[in-house]
Amino acid sequence: MVSSLKAYGSKRGHKLKSVRVFHVNSGACNGCDIELLDILTPFYDIERLGVKLVSTPRHAHALLVTGPLTRKTASAVVRAYEAMPPEPRIVIAVGTCACSGGIFYDSYALYRRIGGSMFDVPRRGGISELIPVHIYIPGCPPRPEEIIYGISLLLELVNERVSKQYYKEESLEDYKLTRRKSPISERLKYSLREKTRHIVGYFDRDRVLEKFLEIVQMAEKSENPRKRLSELIDEYCAKEEDSRVRECLKILERDYWRLKNALLSREEVIYWI
Amino acid sequence: MVRVITVKYPLKEAKAPEEYRGIPYIDPQRCIGCGACRNACPPNAITREIDLEKGIKRIVLDVGRCIRCGRCEEVCPSGAIKLTNVFEAASRQRENHVEIVELKLLRCSRCGKYTEFTERQVMLALEILPREVLEVEALDKRIWLCRDCRRETALSDAVDKEWKWYYGKLVKSIWE
Repeated sequence: MVSSLKAYGSKRGHKLKSVRVFHVNSGACNGCDIELLDILTPFYDIERLGVKLVSTPRHAHALLVTGPLTRKTASAVVRAYEAMPPEPRIVIAVGTCACSGGIFYDSYALYRRIGGSMFDVPRRGGISELIPVHIYIPGCPPRPEEIIYGISLLLELVNERVSKQYYKEESLEDYKLTRRKSPISERLKYSLREKTRHIVGYFDRDRVLEKFLEIVQMAEKSENPRKRLSELIDEYCAKEEDSRVRECLKILERDYWRLKNALLSREEVIYWI
Repeated sequence: MVRVITVKYPLKEAKAPEEYRGIPYIDPQRCIGCGACRNACPPNAITREIDLEKGIKRIVLDVGRCIRCGRCEEVCPSGAIKLTNVFEAASRQRENHVEIVELKLLRCSRCGKYTEFTERQVMLALEILPREVLEVEALDKRIWLCRDCRRETALSDAVDKEWKWYYGKLVKSIWE
């Protein structure tokens, strides 16, 4: 796959500079196509790299394929591929669907070769079931920068940044080092973590919980932790601008005492985990 | 006056916003190998392989299949898998998109066979379980065993010696 591209460069004594691209949609949801439209606008302006969208595969160096390759579009993709000049015949797979099938990987409507499993490593599916692919650009959809990065990888303007990662566990020491001692018991922490997710969502969860644990740690040092905790939270809420965080800290405070009292008195409570 | 608005991206570094959902990354030091991410993943970008003969469990992540929904990050109990804001994942080979985390399985302290869970999973379970509520002795005794051995020891502990004798006698009399 890669060899044909290199051969093209060496034959003419220079690397690929200006690429004419033909865009094929092989059953995509139009997410990737909208991002492709973005890179033609003056803000991203792909033409400054010498890339131009052409209206027929006969003028194209490269085929920009989006979509998971449905059975209906497979013949059209083959016809577009065969209509291209025999050299260099580059194929760029844009989007997760084109790379490996994406969310539609097990759909009955997709074209795929017989044999193998959809769980092979790396995952099978997408455009490479039918035609050889030179550049894979994953993303759902990839942002315009990702597509520009993929195309400039083809033009050899940038280097590859991803590589295969393989980690092998040798002993438990690695894991023990990451376990930090939390100021409250792990059970309580996990219950509160789940509660926080319900209120502020997964993205802000850890940030808000860490803040709360910090306040708890300060409060537990004083003689009357219950009073001190509510004081400290009021103090923090006066400064905080985000109303979600203010609300969340108050709910967490209430839940903290409920769970703690129940654990100490060995009662049955409903945990959030 | 002409103002240039075109970005200089491939020639100049660009950074995605912090909340951008880029390619996921598993922190191998924190991963416990529970496979919660595998259950949550809609396109099956993450798989879990258990090799009982070698005593190895593998969590395999394929970025090329990932749709960046963030559900793995939501369910991860140890905060190991995170969606970074790195987006430059384009590659010439699909192999470059793969990340594998290989963890050791726990060996049953009674029968010596490998169990389906890792040592790290047991460590985390011991931290989470409330010692105030549970029977600590039974927990410490059985958490290091495989599933079959747990069942057997629980049964043999519950059935007292006297009961065994009485039950044996009863069965014998029925047979005769």
